[in-house]
Amino acid sequence: MKKRSQAVASQQRRQVIKGSVAALGLASIGLPSISLAQNKPIRIGMPTILSGRVAMLGESSRNAAIMGVEAFNAAGGLNGRMVELVIRDSKGRPDEAARITRELVNSDGCDMILDAEASSGAFAVHEVARDLGFLVIHTCSETSSLTADPKMRIPNGFRAARQGVHDAIVGGEYAGRVAKEKGLNRWMSISPDYSYGLDTTAEFFEYLKYFNKDVEVVNSVWPKLFQADYSEPITRLLQGKPQAIYSCLWGGDLTSFIDQASIYGLMKDRQFFGVNMADYAVLTAIKAVPPNIHSGNRYLKSIPKTAQNAAWCDAYVAKFKTMPLNWSWENAVGIDFMLAAIKQANGTDTAKMSEALKGMTIKSPFGTDGTITMRASDHTIIDYAIAWGDLTTKEPYMAKPNLGDWKTVLELEKLWMKSKGFIA
Amino acid sequence: MIAGSFTREALIAAIVLAILILIPFFSDSSAVVDFGIRLAAFAVFATSLNMLVGFGGMVSFGHALYFGAGAYSFGLIMQHFQLPIPLAFLLAVGFCVTVAALVGAICVRLKEIYFAFLTLAFQMLFHSIIISWTSLTGGDQGLMGGLPRPPFLGLDLVNPTDLYWFAVVVGVGSLLAMRYILQSPFGYTLRMVRDNPDRAKFLGVNVWRVKLLAFVLAGGFAGVGGIIMALLVSGAFPEFTYWTMSGEAVFMVLMGGVNTFIGPVLGAALLLGFNDVITRVTEHHGLALGAIILLFALVFKHGITDFIVQGWQRITGKKVQS
Amino acid sequence: MDSEALLDCVTSLSCIVTQTSTGLIVGSLLFLVATGLTLIFGVLGIVNFAHGSLYMLGAYIALSAFRITDSFILAAIAGALGVGLFSLFFERFFMRRVYGADVLMQLLVCYAFILILDDTVKIIWGSEFQSMGMPAYFQEPPVFIAGGVIPVFYIYLIGISASIGIGLWLLLSKTKIGKIVRAAAVNPSMTSALGLNTSLIFAGVFAFGGALAGLAGALAAPVRSMSPGMGFSILIESFIVTVIGGMGSVSGALVGALLIGLIRSFGSIGFPYFIEGIMFIAMAIILVVKPSGLMGKETR
Repeated sequence: MKKRSQAVASQQRRQVIKGSVAALGLASIGLPSISLAQNKPIRIGMPTILSGRVAMLGESSRNAAIMGVEAFNAAGGLNGRMVELVIRDSKGRPDEAARITRELVNSDGCDMILDAEASSGAFAVHEVARDLGFLVIHTCSETSSLTADPKMRIPNGFRAARQGVHDAIVGGEYAGRVAKEKGLNRWMSISPDYSYGLDTTAEFFEYLKYFNKDVEVVNSVWPKLFQADYSEPITRLLQGKPQAIYSCLWGGDLTSFIDQASIYGLMKDRQFFGVNMADYAVLTAIKAVPPNIHSGNRYLKSIPKTAQNAAWCDAYVAKFKTMPLNWSWENAVGIDFMLAAIKQANGTDTAKMSEALKGMTIKSPFGTDGTITMRASDHTIIDYAIAWGDLTTKEPYMAKPNLGDWKTVLELEKLWMKSKGFIA
Repeated sequence: MIAGSFTREALIAAIVLAILILIPFFSDSSAVVDFGIRLAAFAVFATSLNMLVGFGGMVSFGHALYFGAGAYSFGLIMQHFQLPIPLAFLLAVGFCVTVAALVGAICVRLKEIYFAFLTLAFQMLFHSIIISWTSLTGGDQGLMGGLPRPPFLGLDLVNPTDLYWFAVVVGVGSLLAMRYILQSPFGYTLRMVRDNPDRAKFLGVNVWRVKLLAFVLAGGFAGVGGIIMALLVSGAFPEFTYWTMSGEAVFMVLMGGVNTFIGPVLGAALLLGFNDVITRVTEHHGLALGAIILLFALVFKHGITDFIVQGWQRITGKKVQS
Repeated sequence: MDSEALLDCVTSLSCIVTQTSTGLIVGSLLFLVATGLTLIFGVLGIVNFAHGSLYMLGAYIALSAFRITDSFILAAIAGALGVGLFSLFFERFFMRRVYGADVLMQLLVCYAFILILDDTVKIIWGSEFQSMGMPAYFQEPPVFIAGGVIPVFYIYLIGISASIGIGLWLLLSKTKIGKIVRAAAVNPSMTSALGLNTSLIFAGVFAFGGALAGLAGALAAPVRSMSPGMGFSILIESFIVTVIGGMGSVSGALVGALLIGLIRSFGSIGFPYFIEGIMFIAMAIILVVKPSGLMGKETR
């Protein structure tokens, strides 16, 4: 924040020089400096991924953000000031994400950033926020360390997305129970070989074993992200003869894996715990949903089973002709927090907005009890609905969801943070 | 080497540097400053590649290895040791030079397409190592947590303008150094090796050693580009060592012109400029960029500076020395 | 490195059967793609960097064809023919112009097409991943051989690849067309001086190579989801195969593809975390020791 005021002061200095030099015909390059019109719109920059393999991340994020902004503007905006979203494509490259963030904030008059970048892009944007001091809310990165690690913490950085460790606690508890009921002691896993896959799988098994001491993880296979062919991991799984398989494969990879696994007969007489199964993109793509599948809720219209959630989903489908995905609800929450902070700060002052966000609770269709809170200690959201259950082949897909109990989640999370050295 | 002409070139460089340094006083646009920093990084990177491609006749597909090695080594040094930036800079460049020497010793014996593929293989191997060695490099998420940038010589590199000045000085300095190398007797030996390696051998030139030296120098300068990039994004990402980054350097060289020294710099400016404009204007940047590249490849058939040079030669009848 | 697991496997018949068949499965599709690449290089001297995008195009065309006709055979043919036609167009109007230029210009043109094709596919079929799904007549339980498991669909795939491989070998070595193509590969100017239309030959080979990539994409479609940009990984792998096998050699493509398939399947037991690295090391070793590849000739 301090650097910003320094920048403003030197900017004014340069404007004086600029004025005198302009007479020499040396025009300034770049966009005009910010005017002081009272009804100037509030611009929110949104770096995201709109091309390549992960383009659906950007599209689903953008759609939700647009919905949130339109609702806000329809209700009058901020005392008549409208909000504008400026969306740019980083193509999935973190250095490009950093570049467009700087451009959005420096040249395009954006007062804050709704960061819908995947993991490495989010870290890149976070560093730009650290250097330049604008408000940033990350909406797609689930890496716990983004907010849990004290080294990463900045007063102006927040996360409105699910956190890997929260998911793992709820999933571990559910799976531990199912394992006890069905006698599933022999487990294997197949997850993509990158940070998300490695961390999420490790966390799930940690909590699975915590809730069920009889469980044994016999082996794990790690195909590459976007690997097309799963024959070798599938045959390894067959050879290991597990009773249950865990996977955090997602999107197209999960679809490919399930399709290939079914021709191998891998799922026959086995329980499959795929945390990313309950996602509309996957559920509509997989032609043959195998039996015995359990999943966490990426996004489902029926979780939480409230009128607000159903209404939001219907509005999304009506507007965009496609089902919302996990990134959609995360961005909806992110933009809601951002707009609430603007309202509370009655403007776009970063310090005021950040202060407002700390500990803020908002009403949300995606909260366990109708609300979601932005935790003050580490700037990440809690009380969002996490549920695990077994899946069927049509709506509501998860007929008997087991909603996570946040008291348990928070207790175990604290122990986890201690074990990682994030808190004393 | 003609001593007089190099003094002239140094003078031109000094003037250009002075202009670049003065720009932030005339324009308060941070877009210019950011563009300048990125251009510095990529101009040095692309020119270092052209030392191999244009001046050495050695097409490398894996040059981003050194760009990434520079970024990562610099980043890791800054994160783990409390060293002043100039010292870390030198150490990082030293690391790149060492890696280039090891890789080059194996690669430069090969011819043409095999050399290209082997450099690519080494680069992808390096990339695999970076992705797998999560405890050191952060894996696919890159170096997290930012780089400490302690101030030195009155410059605080966290401030974009200060970083711009640093980048511009280092950039112009590196380009001048590469120019000096290419205009020196070594540079002309390199051209001879490019044009007719057998003749060079008969004249007593140790072709392997010349190529290796060029490879090592190119690798070192590519590392400089990587360090500037690392300072800009306050980190390092595996994408820096991916073959798409090598490809970008190749395109900058091709679009700018392989036969002139300044070609790659122009190509870098063009490609960065296109990228920035296209991403602002349209979502279908693949179509737009693809169309532009086809224009260069099929219509111009040469990089811009080669085009200009040919035109100049046709008009004036004079032959231009590159 | 998990040498214990690797040892366990090679001493167990069911494991050997399973892993070898997995290697065959991985290798057979790779063989189709790599063959196209190596033919194009062998005859035209071009490194077709757009080959992975042709694979992607084949998959998407097959997807649409399947949705319309509900027949996998028609979808596969559509994929192959569609990409073959596109490759013809690509060669005639674009690659033709950079034949004489150095490899970098060819790279540039191919890269431009990769960008354009990725965006085009995204515009036509959307950015969300698509899945064709297994056609009904392939939905049968897998076959068990000596305790090893092999899905029926993959048996068909291996069969199709093998037939194409044998057919191609017969074509190239026993027929007149094959002789002409081989002649054009070795000495295009002489071939042209003998009155043969080399530009027609070049176009034909390029189209055929592209069609092979498209066919591979179509054949894989029932079990692999597709998304814009999916061509990159198959491109890298097919390059590794052609370099190891020998650029320009179809038998090299076979050997290389099988080798990579087996490295992947047995390697995933022994070196689960470093398979990619192993493949690049293999490529590097070949380039250093025998640059023309395992089955390649020394001259090119």
